[in-house]
Amino acid sequence: MPSTTFKIFRYQPDAAKPEPYYQDFTLEHEEKKTLLDAILDLQNEQDGTLAIRYSCRSAICGSCACKADGRTVLACMQQVEDLKAWSGKDTVQVDPIGNFTPIKDLVVDMGPFWEKVKSVKPFLMPDGPPPANGKERIVSKEDMQKLVKETNCILCAACYSECNSLAADPEFVGPAALAWGYRFNGDVRDGYPKTRAKMYTGKHGVWDCTRCNFCNERCPKGVDPRDAIEKLGAIAFREGRSMKDAGARHAKAFLISMQTGGKLNETLLVPFTDPIKAQFDLPFALKMLQKGKAPSPFPHKVKNLDQVKKLMKNVKETI
Amino acid sequence: MAKSFAYYPGCVAEFSSKELNSTTKALAPMLDIELVPMPSATCCGAGDIAEAKPNLYLALNVRILSEAEEMGMDIMTICNVCTMNLRRANKMVKEDPTLLEAVNAELTKAGARPYAGGTDVTHLLWYISTEEGLAQLEKQGPRGLNGLRVAPYYGCQLLRPSSVMGFEDPDKPQSMERLIRALGGEVADYEAKSKCCGFPIILARESVALKESHVALSQARDAGADCMVTPCPLCHLAMDAYQRKAEIANNTEYNMPVLHLPQLLGLALGLDRQVMQFSKHMVPVAPVAEIVGV
Repeated sequence: MPSTTFKIFRYQPDAAKPEPYYQDFTLEHEEKKTLLDAILDLQNEQDGTLAIRYSCRSAICGSCACKADGRTVLACMQQVEDLKAWSGKDTVQVDPIGNFTPIKDLVVDMGPFWEKVKSVKPFLMPDGPPPANGKERIVSKEDMQKLVKETNCILCAACYSECNSLAADPEFVGPAALAWGYRFNGDVRDGYPKTRAKMYTGKHGVWDCTRCNFCNERCPKGVDPRDAIEKLGAIAFREGRSMKDAGARHAKAFLISMQTGGKLNETLLVPFTDPIKAQFDLPFALKMLQKGKAPSPFPHKVKNLDQVKKLMKNVKETI
Repeated sequence: MAKSFAYYPGCVAEFSSKELNSTTKALAPMLDIELVPMPSATCCGAGDIAEAKPNLYLALNVRILSEAEEMGMDIMTICNVCTMNLRRANKMVKEDPTLLEAVNAELTKAGARPYAGGTDVTHLLWYISTEEGLAQLEKQGPRGLNGLRVAPYYGCQLLRPSSVMGFEDPDKPQSMERLIRALGGEVADYEAKSKCCGFPIILARESVALKESHVALSQARDAGADCMVTPCPLCHLAMDAYQRKAEIANNTEYNMPVLHLPQLLGLALGLDRQVMQFSKHMVPVAPVAEIVGV
């Protein structure tokens, strides 16, 4: 029977020792044991005050996300022996999910997460009355296929826990909420695509994502939130979303570069993205120039640029 | 006989970070590889074109893959972002023949060569950190790094999503560690080596990005690194060119020289310093060169 030491983050604000600390527990357990079952065994047999949020035990409810040796997992989906095989150690460190405030041990305050999910209006907003014949609004199988990954989200916040942009900007709406945003912005039955596009591409929306891809890597359900964020960007372009935001202008600069030379025109990119800031940033620009980091203002042209121009003209977007 | 690759340096290495391109080209013969230019290859879109026009992103990247296929070579890159974008497009069309057909119809209509799915995309780091690559380094009789304490900085897109990249475990990458040790350096390990540098949003959300780069820069400093090394020129810009800005924004100092991966190899193998163009770095590299003894 394997024996495992669990080094668990403890935080009991009401107790005599209110500062967070780590506590080691050793458990002998059968070969097949999930991290959640192991923690519940510890709770039942060794320390009844050990707190973790859980419900279904079968990767449906999304309650038991926590960090195991630094990686966010659903505790009920994760085998203890697999964790040890990965780390090569007999000890598993368990922490609460990241980018949240702990309330007690492994339980965190999910409040900000729910507020952000609510902020994207995660429900269908059809435009106009339902069909007169009393039937439901029909959506084709093909159109639903486009949303299938996002509909699998169980709101476990594993993505949110690891999001690098969120760690730097706590106001970022975050990957899960934006995945839900796409689930409805991409739904042909929804009547407010432009309104949604505007809602999702504000100051702390789509353009805040730094594409670290941790969300795609950690999602236990294959939702790929980063891909959903990318699709929201494409919808914003389709809907003619304002180019006032520097994030949108950054993407636009790449399209202009492609059209004019085929390679990135860095001389255009900086002032086009944020013309006002670029002026105030003159000392930095001069330093770059002095270091030979400012490229030629004349766009480089690739061979067969006509092919690129034709692609830009012909290729139709299907988002 | 030297192995030939279709060379895709990417826009940043060709323009604002020329030192990366010149070093890679000079290094190639020492690594027994031939880097053949791709005159028709465009920008990969850096994720920005995918975020604005996803079908166009796919067509442009498949056009690049097709050019390499016509050359009869796999693509070698020196940028995380180029590698991810090209590999992602490659995976998408290789796994979906209907999609490939649709993309090829567009390429044909535009006068470009259709793609048959016969090209792979690799990064210099991946090539050189395998047993075969390390053996090639061994043959050069490395002068060595003289115990230089190097903090490897992987960044994001060479590791994630692992379903597209797949070279090594994204949560415990070891390719640069293997290289550093093989070259006679010491590894300064730190948790943030695979966190984001913030570069993709540095122009649009500078204050957010500078908080991201701070995490890795401060951890590398605290791990006692003499320098950082990165396989990506975008990470390099965030860590080197914007380092002073990050110091001001985070009210701290790093004084952390940041090397491009080929420069680390070049230092160890005794490549001409002129070629490596350290003068183009914002943070002086002189302390690193002094330790290595060049």
